[in-house]
Amino acid sequence: MIVVNYLAAVALLCIGLYAVLTRRNMIKMVMGLSLMEASTYLFMLSLAYRAGSTAPVLLSPPPGKSVSDLVHGNVADPVLQNFCLTAVVIGVAVTAVFLSVVVRIAQHYRTLDTDQVREMRG
Amino acid sequence: MSHADSPGGPAEAAEHEPGHRRWVGAALVAGMAAALAAAMIRIPREHAALPAVARYAMEVSLPRWGLTEPVNEVVYGTRGFDTFGETFLLLAAVISVVMITRSREARRGYFGESLAGEREQAQADPAEQADTSERAAREAERREQGEHDPGDPAAPDTPDAEPLGTPAPETAEAMTVVVRTAIRIALPVLAVAGFYLVAWGYSPGGGFPGGAVLLGVLLLAYAGFGRRRISKVVRPGLLEGIEMAGAAAIILTELLGLLLRGSFSANWLPLATPQTILSGGIAQLFSASELIEVGTGLAIAVFALIGMGHDWSPDERSGADDKADEKGAGQ
Repeated sequence: MIVVNYLAAVALLCIGLYAVLTRRNMIKMVMGLSLMEASTYLFMLSLAYRAGSTAPVLLSPPPGKSVSDLVHGNVADPVLQNFCLTAVVIGVAVTAVFLSVVVRIAQHYRTLDTDQVREMRG
Repeated sequence: MSHADSPGGPAEAAEHEPGHRRWVGAALVAGMAAALAAAMIRIPREHAALPAVARYAMEVSLPRWGLTEPVNEVVYGTRGFDTFGETFLLLAAVISVVMITRSREARRGYFGESLAGEREQAQADPAEQADTSERAAREAERREQGEHDPGDPAAPDTPDAEPLGTPAPETAEAMTVVVRTAIRIALPVLAVAGFYLVAWGYSPGGGFPGGAVLLGVLLLAYAGFGRRRISKVVRPGLLEGIEMAGAAAIILTELLGLLLRGSFSANWLPLATPQTILSGGIAQLFSASELIEVGTGLAIAVFALIGMGHDWSPDERSGADDKADEKGAGQ
């Protein structure tokens, strides 16, 4: 029932989105964005799962199988695992950008409340 | 002025945190959840066949790249161009952090640059006097950054040098002997593990997890021993140069494929026996460059954030800035 994982990822994304939409504290908004990022990791790794499969490693296959059985056999999707690997690093870097912007805003306006930061308001 | 400036320090965390259009947000999120859930019910599940690109990666991994790790083959081989673009996305993010966190004066280290800023501020506006809260904050920051007399008993190097029963707050820069000993034992193991992930090309990801592990090594040393111990290694001039060298190595690795083999990110190195240190051709070279790029890039971003000092420029919203401009124009 991997669909439960998919729905958990949707739930995580929605919790993060709700935090971004309704919080006024900028640190909490960044936390919401990080939660949305994390939901995509869960989603991609769940999407890579195949029932009864092994890891995509062509090394010491299970007893009674050869490496070529593994190549054509039932394995988890390596491409989606690659997506997740790169997404984690990008997620860290993007969060660092968000946080540095938040620190600068806090230094300039002496507040983390988005309602107090309205110089750009038209 | 915000509530943070109210007398008596920052207010306690409020029971009712101010929200923002909660019902509109809830309605939008509910709509999003319904749309996504409907999509999730229909997408392929655990019994679907592998997509063609995944099947292709499994098939070419051993014969064409000599890698027993298809995930690594996807990262540095089949989807090498994607990884290439992602690397420069990381570089762009790091450059953004460096630009945003840059202080007004040129700096040589991530920490302890407030003195130069003070001098500049004293020149720009000699009439401005520090008030009590600013003096207290500056004093706390000096203590925090370890800029104290070595003989000052109020701020020893480690908490072990503090007499028993000393009241809080703790002012030492390093951690206790238990933590320092544990870090001394764990650091070499962690560093070797990070390099092992890269050197043996059949670990998934190679340089990406390796670089993150190296950042962990730096952060552990910083947390356990204080900033002075790592200030020789962790300084912008050194890290930024190494990062650019890593980026140049990645460009060169990929470009040589175009020049020698006719396609960008093609393998131009001889394949070694699988499961040896050189297996995978350019995948290993790419992975090692990625270790440099990711390790230094994340270190720059994290230490730039940690090193962001207090900026004591006056709050300009009161119009003082405009008056200063007028005065400057009149002179």
